[in-house]
Amino acid sequence: MADAAGSPSPPEALVLEGISESRTFWQDARRRFFRNRLAVLGLVIVSFLVILAVFADLLAPFPYDFVRFDRVLKLPFVFPENPLGTDEVGRDYLSRLIYGARTSLIVAFSVQGIALLIGMPLGALAGYFGGRVDFVITRIIDIMTAFPSLLFAILIISVLGGGLRTIIVALSLTSWIIIARLTRSQVLTLREQDFTVAARALGAPEWRIMMRHLLPNALTPILVAVSLGIPTAIFAEAGLSFLGLGVNDPIASWGKMVGVSNAYVRVYWHLALFPTLAIALTMLGFSFLGDGIRDALDPKQER
Amino acid sequence: MTRYILERFASLILVLFAVSIIVFTLMHSVPGGPFDESKGRLPPAAKENILRKYGLDKPVWQQYLNYMSHALRFDFGIPYQQPQTTVAKLIGKTWAVTVQVGLMTILVAFSLGIFAGMYAAYHQNSWIDNVVTFTATLGVTVPNFVVAMWFILFFAVARQWLPMGGWSSSGQCLIGNYLCTDWILPVIAYALAPMAIVARYTRASIVDVKRADYVRTARAKGVSERVVMRRHVFRNAQIPMVTALGTEIPNLITGSIFIESIFRINGLGKFFVTSTLNRDYPMIMATFLLVALLWGITYMLTDIAYTWIDPRVRLGSKGEG
Repeated sequence: MADAAGSPSPPEALVLEGISESRTFWQDARRRFFRNRLAVLGLVIVSFLVILAVFADLLAPFPYDFVRFDRVLKLPFVFPENPLGTDEVGRDYLSRLIYGARTSLIVAFSVQGIALLIGMPLGALAGYFGGRVDFVITRIIDIMTAFPSLLFAILIISVLGGGLRTIIVALSLTSWIIIARLTRSQVLTLREQDFTVAARALGAPEWRIMMRHLLPNALTPILVAVSLGIPTAIFAEAGLSFLGLGVNDPIASWGKMVGVSNAYVRVYWHLALFPTLAIALTMLGFSFLGDGIRDALDPKQER
Repeated sequence: MTRYILERFASLILVLFAVSIIVFTLMHSVPGGPFDESKGRLPPAAKENILRKYGLDKPVWQQYLNYMSHALRFDFGIPYQQPQTTVAKLIGKTWAVTVQVGLMTILVAFSLGIFAGMYAAYHQNSWIDNVVTFTATLGVTVPNFVVAMWFILFFAVARQWLPMGGWSSSGQCLIGNYLCTDWILPVIAYALAPMAIVARYTRASIVDVKRADYVRTARAKGVSERVVMRRHVFRNAQIPMVTALGTEIPNLITGSIFIESIFRINGLGKFFVTSTLNRDYPMIMATFLLVALLWGITYMLTDIAYTWIDPRVRLGSKGEG
């Protein structure tokens, strides 16, 4: 069990008594992660989703926009080619579900990626330079937290119109806040630490201190925030598409499938059941994975 | 204390102004508006008249000042979708429904959440504790419209026990238009997540406090178990609960867009979606201001509630160090 991480350990005889084998932080983290059963379950679910998303073209029996007008609203198992039935315009539901994974993951990863690209530099600038820069950036953060981020996303979408790209923009605009705030507080504490002072005393330029000394040390909590931000983004995309404010037809989105199914739920239960299960499974998978990463990287936090 | 409240109030007003400017510029920064003739052509004279009537022919900053001077007198204009009424009236009407949903949800979420959390904390690591923890995880991670859909599929479609949607409109009511059967599914689906959060907070804080020295001292003095629980454990476990309350109440009061859409409840949330789809500027502005105001006020009240529950907490910039 102790070697679940798969790292080769030296033979027992070679280990001196009283001196344990030295392990790096990342080896430790990996060991902690793989001991956590829920985290491993999360990893399995997420890997499955990633495979679905990447190989959707090979795995799905039909293209996501393939319409058969003679097979509109068929329940599961009526036709062997459509094991999960068909939707309201005659598209294979299993294929739509598989492509839905792709939409979810594209939105989630792009949003968190952009949030990192905006949030980290802004937070670092605010924390490092303080003063007027800090004042402006913290005020922006304050204003952005004054109302629910979902409402803000809806506002952006109502201005720019729906679609995959707009959703990514709208969600990125709100999700950088968390990253920026976190980076700022990290940099604030790291800036006064001895190694930073030493680097400055040795005459290292500001950008080098920031890039080599501050950001790498602030990385762990940011990584945790990103891994927990992914399910939030998935939820937001599903929610917006559910309201009809999200991705446009014919792109498959689980949220939109749930929203459309609301009108048919009395008879065609399959339209509602499968995408809701997919959303729930995805959310659970990413949350378990995120919690696992947090517990593995920061053993002091929580319990 | 007074000074702190005044400072917070001033910053709240600043945030409100910033929000109004952001929303206003965003709404006016794109081409197209409610009268952009996508739904049929208008004669130029008629269009000009309409634009003049709604003040849309003036420059944006003038439109903004005009709007704000009216807004300060609680006149938020006329909704484009329903010109026969005013924004204030329309928001009042839809918000009344939303507040009903919200209050019921708060009642259910907090009573059940605190109860479940306390029970789980006193019976730590029992199977009930595990069930509470598991449900809490589910409630927090699975979106409420997904849970709502499962409820509909089971309680309204597979077993026709409860109505599929509506609010005081489909089903029997206990008292007049209140406590109806169609309240049950939306309230429970909506309450699940806050209930989970409350249960988690309650459990964690009670487990923490239960082992504190002063609790042991109280027991050693021979204080009865019930008094220990009420006066020592529960009182100190209240602080995290206030945090949960403070973050959840503005959400619950401003309504869930999802719950209102899926159960077809004509509340503020559902109306907000139709307003954005129709680019109804006055409605969108007013809704945003309302939400920002409510959030700001509840955050302020939460901070004040801290000092009331725990006199050790000091507010203001001095205490922060």
